[in-house]
Amino acid sequence: MQDFINIGKRIPKMDAEEKVTGKAIYIHDLKVPGMLYGKILYSPHPHAKILRIDTSEAERLPGVRAVLTGYNTPPIKFGFYKDNPPLKANKVRSYRDEVAAVAAIDPDIAEDALNLIRVEYEILPAIFDPEEAMKEGAPLIHEEHLGGKEKKPTNVLNLPWRLIAGDVDEARKNSDYVAEDRFKVTWVAHCCLGTSGCVAQFDLKNNLTMYSNTQIPSLAQKDYLDALSAMGLQGKKARVIKAMIGGGFGSKLDTYAYEYIAILLAHKTRKPVKIIFSREEEFFATSPRQPAIIHIAQGCTKDGKLTFRDIRMTLDNGAYTSWGATTPSVMMMPISSLYKVPNVRYVAKCVYTNNTWSQAMRGYGNPQATFAIDSQIDILAEMAGIDPLDFRMRNANTPGEVTPQNFRINTCGLRECIDVVAQKLDWRQNRGRRDGRGIGMASMIHVGGGARVYKSDGCGTIIKIDDFGTVNVITGATDMGQGADTVIAQIVAEELGVRVEDVVVTHTDTDICPWDVGAHASRTTFVAGNSARGAAKKVKEQLLEVAAKSLGENPENLDIRDRTIFSKNDPEKKSPLGKILRAAHYAAGGKMVMAEHFYDPPNENLDKEFKGNLSVTYAYGTHGVEVEVDKETGQVKILKYIAAHDVGRAINPMLLEGQVYGGATMGIGYALTERLILQDGKVMNPNFLDYKMLTAKDVPNIEPIVVETDDQFGPFGAKGIGEPGLVPTAPAIANAIYDAVGVRIKDLPITPEKVLAALKEKK
Amino acid sequence: MKKFDYLKPHTLDEALSLLNQYGNRAQLIAGGTDVIVMIKQKKLFPDVLISLQGIPGLGQIDYNGMLRIGPMVTHRAIEKSELIRKEFSALTDSADVLGSVQIRNVATIGGNIVTAAPSADTAAPLLALGAQVKLKSMQTERTIPIEQFFTGPGETVLEKGQILTEILIPKPLPNTGSAYWKLQRRGALDLPILGVAVLLSLDKATVTCSDLLCTASPISTVLHSLEGDEVFCKEVRIALGVAAPTPMRATKAENLLRGKKISDELLKEVAETAAKEAQPRDSLRGEAWYRRDMIEVLVKRMAMRCIERILRPEETIFPVRLW
Ligand SMILES: Cc1cc2nc3c(=O)[nH]c(=O)nc-3n(C[C@H](O)[C@H](O)[C@H](O)COP(=O)(O)OP(=O)(O)OC[C@H]3O[C@@H](n4cnc5c(N)ncnc54)[C@H](O)[C@@H]3O)c2cc1C
Repeated sequence: MQDFINIGKRIPKMDAEEKVTGKAIYIHDLKVPGMLYGKILYSPHPHAKILRIDTSEAERLPGVRAVLTGYNTPPIKFGFYKDNPPLKANKVRSYRDEVAAVAAIDPDIAEDALNLIRVEYEILPAIFDPEEAMKEGAPLIHEEHLGGKEKKPTNVLNLPWRLIAGDVDEARKNSDYVAEDRFKVTWVAHCCLGTSGCVAQFDLKNNLTMYSNTQIPSLAQKDYLDALSAMGLQGKKARVIKAMIGGGFGSKLDTYAYEYIAILLAHKTRKPVKIIFSREEEFFATSPRQPAIIHIAQGCTKDGKLTFRDIRMTLDNGAYTSWGATTPSVMMMPISSLYKVPNVRYVAKCVYTNNTWSQAMRGYGNPQATFAIDSQIDILAEMAGIDPLDFRMRNANTPGEVTPQNFRINTCGLRECIDVVAQKLDWRQNRGRRDGRGIGMASMIHVGGGARVYKSDGCGTIIKIDDFGTVNVITGATDMGQGADTVIAQIVAEELGVRVEDVVVTHTDTDICPWDVGAHASRTTFVAGNSARGAAKKVKEQLLEVAAKSLGENPENLDIRDRTIFSKNDPEKKSPLGKILRAAHYAAGGKMVMAEHFYDPPNENLDKEFKGNLSVTYAYGTHGVEVEVDKETGQVKILKYIAAHDVGRAINPMLLEGQVYGGATMGIGYALTERLILQDGKVMNPNFLDYKMLTAKDVPNIEPIVVETDDQFGPFGAKGIGEPGLVPTAPAIANAIYDAVGVRIKDLPITPEKVLAALKEKK
Repeated sequence: MKKFDYLKPHTLDEALSLLNQYGNRAQLIAGGTDVIVMIKQKKLFPDVLISLQGIPGLGQIDYNGMLRIGPMVTHRAIEKSELIRKEFSALTDSADVLGSVQIRNVATIGGNIVTAAPSADTAAPLLALGAQVKLKSMQTERTIPIEQFFTGPGETVLEKGQILTEILIPKPLPNTGSAYWKLQRRGALDLPILGVAVLLSLDKATVTCSDLLCTASPISTVLHSLEGDEVFCKEVRIALGVAAPTPMRATKAENLLRGKKISDELLKEVAETAAKEAQPRDSLRGEAWYRRDMIEVLVKRMAMRCIERILRPEETIFPVRLW
């Protein structure tokens, strides 16, 4: 293996000190002179007509600067399906519907003003079950929404997710064993420690500056420009400035009503307006992971070869539509390509209900689908009388494979991952004890080289080096805590022969930073990393050219190591980087060292049949768990947790492990404790007391295992790892519980009540 | 958040007179972990907060024939007290799992019982330990058994103008063990789905556990091996949290056991009886059927743990694991 100076090193996150000492500036800390505070009035009903809004009393409250409703604001519609106005007129469709908003000189006055707004409603019948909502005669959430062949009003979205490969019906007939099950997953929240918020500000020419914690600055900029147009401000500019982001996990992949409301209030008052969510709002007014009802069948031959996979899914879209409605396109990935399965059919429907509306969340549908698939793999293996470990090995993906969705599998360390997990769990010894202790495993596939979700999957980087040899990297990437800045600095430092501390990464301002499609699809290290590396290569060329003149040497004979340019032929010929740069700047007809690079991986958009090589490489992994189940209380305790991941190469093993720890922890919560409890559309547990995110005391010792396959396309061989850590967690745990006590829970989270009820039923 | 004045008297008398002076506009504050949350949630609107922090003596633990715990004693101090751990283990069990270390550093036992949440973690252990509470106003002072203190969810006999000044716990009989189990979904920062506290006194003056079997095997096996010794239950108290509108005693279950020879079968029956006399309900935090089932499981386990603590005092052990 190559000898690297900066790659593969356990370098702490560049902003770690600032964060742990409380010095980092989050959106919550940000104050802009003259700033007002905005607050939002939400609907008290899940479905109702708005008959009348009277804001006069609120307007008269001293300190109030503006009160807006859907009746006195321009008709902006946002979201993936353009079905969501920031302030609702005529009708509310969920408890989180924004009915009015106030800007005032302090947050308490704004809050008091909300209480003075009088709204009259006429309550409408509401619907909370997506299967009921699909039926003829169900209350319509959006009356004007037409669908189906006859273009009739319907709650079913016009998003016919459908992937067909091979002949599932035929394959089913020829299968020796067929398993058929119904799985169910529910809402979980991102639980970002930093709640949502923004500050909107207009200059005198009506150009907008948004201070925001978005993870998609360039796309958010476009959303804001669309809103400006709808407000009659065509041709104005929108600038997005990011504060430190207190967690994203997909929650900041969209723009939300509160951002448009801040814009509208700022425009109305001619003052900067800040909106910050309380924890309660964060739970009920931001979008959780989609619930889904999953009907799944898989078959195999006598000797355990998978023959087909057939999945029908209903997703609860909620009252409006975000990018979350496109998660089925990502679910297709595990459905078509986790293990070798020649025949695949997948149909999914997104259905409007009066529940909260869902959004992207780490894994983007993959954890939901993988829970069903890899739980059922164990069921099927048992039917076939094959050890689930052998069953997985027999069907494991391999390099060079083309999957039914036309994914071209490049590097693939799945077998290694399965193998190491089996070893660590002492599989042959420990499997099948049924004495309250059990072991289980599950695997995953995810995009590892970005994903062409939009027309572009690109990211730009600018690098400049000034007088003193400090390397300024200006990237399109977004660091939302995952450590993108640090990894980019390592890549650039490696390429340029400088130290990581010589590199300053700027990623905060769309007026300065180049374009990027956003921090999603575990793409940042891969795409932004390749982009940064490309720019660094160009800069290096320029540096060597400049140095060649002053050192009297051919550029080809020069290289850089430890901040010094030297001749490979004559080590005496050398000069510190800073000196070379100063020489370049002060020379007559001088030169500036600066380069840009745009990298767009050779990923393909999915075609009309939802096929195509979405990512140039794929990430694989396997998790293994040992659990102990208390048969009297139904409680599950994790004794051992192994997380093996094929990551291509670990650019920074410490940060990589951080992603795996964090992912697995989120996954364990998804499996065992976390859920937003909705009763007739209302979030009943909008707080950390009753929303059971795991605490430090609950997280077991997670052992990450890095499998390096050195991907030819990755920056120094790396693939994505942002999402994979939580994808196989729930099925691995469910499989281990089955091994421990012989009950199969198909409905998340696996609470003690469910385990105990199943144990009783078994008796 | 609503604005309020913050008063910090230096004597109990001063506090009582301030309380009297401001009447309904005042609220006492100890650690503030309930009061401040409730003000933020707009469930309380005091104009004046009267702090008990500045009054000397309210934060003491004394043992002189009786255990006296001042209302301002923090859960952390209880958790750390060796004396309480040895003699009043159930209370340590509860302090050990209340909130988190940060909360336990400021939250007090007085605040916990005055808030009177059905889920209050120290309530069931105090009931099991036979605690009494002293209530003082400007004119009067009275001491009542803690059973009489709670009257409903969030409701107590405490009147405006009264301060809880002391919690008194009698010295346990010889051969007594006590234990509390908080059934929760997380290891920290959680309220109980159910809380079960048991106190058990055995009548043999010299029940000891010397042979190897006795120190290494599960306690039910040990019990069988002791059967020849006829181990009788001299006293028992079983208290349940989140099993009724207030923390409750399972007296029918206790009566079944008191004075009887302890056996596996009897403990099972006792646990079933406790489950029957409880009135758990469905809530966001747990379903009634599960709570009832768990009373059965946990009463038995806690009784076993009491016996274990009597027989193996060296291991008065604060088990991270339940099974
Ligand atoms: C994050 C968090 C986690 C928590 N976890 C738990 C838990 O696991 N289990 C649990 O049981 N509770 C828990 N609580 C609740 C709370 O911490 C406890 O009830 C605590 O013991 C309250 O004590 P305090 O000193 O903070 O009371 P305060 O908030 O100061 O007071 C509580 C009430 O008691 C009154 N009061 C206080 N002292 C006296 C007195 N001497 N005489 C008369 N009235 C008095 C006050 O006026 C007020 O009404 C938690 C709270 C938080 C914020």
